[in-house]
Amino acid sequence: MLLEAIDVTKTFGALTVVNTVSVSLNKGDILGLIGPNGAGKSTFFNCLTGDLMPTSGRVILNGEDVSMMTPEQRAVRGLARSFQVPQTFETMSVLENVMIGAFLRTSDPARARRRAYEVLDLVGLVDVASAVAGSLGTPGRKRLEIARALATDPEILLLDEAMAGLTATEVRQAIELVRKIHQTGMTLVIVEHIMEVIISLAQQVIVFHQGHQIARGTPQEVTRDPAVVTAYLGKRAAANAARGFAGDPA
Amino acid sequence: MKRSVWLLLILALVIVYPLLFTTPFLQRLGALVLLYAIAASAWNIVGGYAGQVSVGHVVFFGCGAYASMAFFTHFGWPPIAAVPVGMAASVGIAALIGVPTLRLSGHYFSMATIAVAELARLIVTNVEALGAAVGLSGPVMPRTVFDLSFTSALPYYYLFLAVLLVVLGLTYWMENSRIGFYLRAIKDNERAARSLGVQAGRYKLYAYMISAGLTSVAGTLYATMYGFIDPESGLGILTSVKILIMAALGGAGLLFGPLVGAAILVPLEEISNNLLGGKGAGLTFVVYGAIIMIIARFYPSGLLKLLLDRMAAAKPAPSDKQVRDVA
Ligand SMILES: Nc1ncnc2c1ncn2[C@@H]1O[C@H](COP(=O)(O)OP(=O)(O)O)[C@@H](O)[C@H]1O
Ligand SMILES: [Mg+2]
Repeated sequence: MLLEAIDVTKTFGALTVVNTVSVSLNKGDILGLIGPNGAGKSTFFNCLTGDLMPTSGRVILNGEDVSMMTPEQRAVRGLARSFQVPQTFETMSVLENVMIGAFLRTSDPARARRRAYEVLDLVGLVDVASAVAGSLGTPGRKRLEIARALATDPEILLLDEAMAGLTATEVRQAIELVRKIHQTGMTLVIVEHIMEVIISLAQQVIVFHQGHQIARGTPQEVTRDPAVVTAYLGKRAAANAARGFAGDPA
Repeated sequence: MKRSVWLLLILALVIVYPLLFTTPFLQRLGALVLLYAIAASAWNIVGGYAGQVSVGHVVFFGCGAYASMAFFTHFGWPPIAAVPVGMAASVGIAALIGVPTLRLSGHYFSMATIAVAELARLIVTNVEALGAAVGLSGPVMPRTVFDLSFTSALPYYYLFLAVLLVVLGLTYWMENSRIGFYLRAIKDNERAARSLGVQAGRYKLYAYMISAGLTSVAGTLYATMYGFIDPESGLGILTSVKILIMAALGGAGLLFGPLVGAAILVPLEEISNNLLGGKGAGLTFVVYGAIIMIIARFYPSGLLKLLLDRMAAAKPAPSDKQVRDVA
């Protein structure tokens, strides 16, 4: 087991945002977390990355309890992430952004630069390597965050809505990129509220609703689950079901 | 290549300056520019590169200045021999301030630095061994050359230049190594930096301690040249503000920014002091306040950045459109 969350709960004051959620991932898995806005996906995600400490429950990374560890301690142990709202280093160049990631495994700037170029090549940002990150649009920034995370040579990559705000074409390109990364043997956790993205990528899906895990299974199983259809898909489901979508997600 | 030619040319000019302008006023002015450039360059490491704005850097300046005068007064050391003492005390104080506050948002740090500097000034004003309100003096007559007590400003000029080159060399090395990259990343977005494994708290603390140690050297050099230190000159808030403004005006986070700032502000202050005499001090505060507002409003990244951007704009750069298309 590479990553395991056991009964993770997060409360803000009286508000329980994540309620006893458990997940487990083996090496090479892609786990999808879906649910409507405000369901608690990002909060749970941040408990995995160390940006938030769970109120109760445990997070185990490679057999080690990291529940109370900081984000930087988890990064050293092979966990990398992107942010829902891009958090690039705005005044630094695209290359330098990625070098910050690469510096986790080397203190030599020349090596970090080489590693950064490799990753930029993989994600298709080599041509803008010297541009200032602040000059990129949303798709570029999201790609840059993935590149930066990959440069840390992680064992597991967590992406929080890496495709939100992208056009249909850009989403397709982003899905291709995630596939490519998965083919290198990467383990992934992807949070999306776009059902289509999860269906085309994840092997296992967990559905969030008001802080609870209301369903889990393959994308096919989950999209057929009546609880999911009513709670999550709501009005859209009715429309999609009319087009035969919910019953035939592929 | 072009850049290094320019740098060598400027360095040559700086080296010959006191030989071309030989009046005591101009030589002393040159020495003061270099002295404040040392302090502002040291401030730049934590304030400019790491983006943690210290408003109480005078406490380290004071450490260096008081260490030299106190060890001369009580043990007869040549003032310059106290450099390691002042540095060690400064690094220790920086750790005491930095460990609890650098983890919090930047405002807490800034406020803590002011508070500690003012506290230090109050304490020293009441400690007899440190000269209390009157202050401490250095050697009246130089005993040996190691007392570094000269009537001409010329030897100080070259001493300060040598120290400034060491500080800038160190900054340049830092800028191009992992710590320099990390500090800029922390300044831009600490949360993102931490997600990539950057131990933000630790690196900010390193920057603060290095900065404190180097600022203390500037304090020792100041006391060596003036042969006197009191709570106002050694621990007054005006000096903290002066150091900060020089770096910000020239360009915080740029290698030569503080030097540019010092080269503009020190002559301005010396000339206004000459014209206005003792009444100048109050006005200095007003002028500094105005400069802060102008920098904040119009040139948040400083004059040197403005100049470099102008020069870069003259060269063809990748167009915005190209950037957007590929990304
Ligand atoms: N720091 C916080 N304090 C209080 N409430 C929060 C905080 N962070 C998130 N929430 C609330 O928790 C709920 C879940 O948010 P989030 O995890 O961002 O959802 P999702 O990512 O699924 O859209 C929302 O109702 C949000 O308002
Ligand atoms: Mg979210």
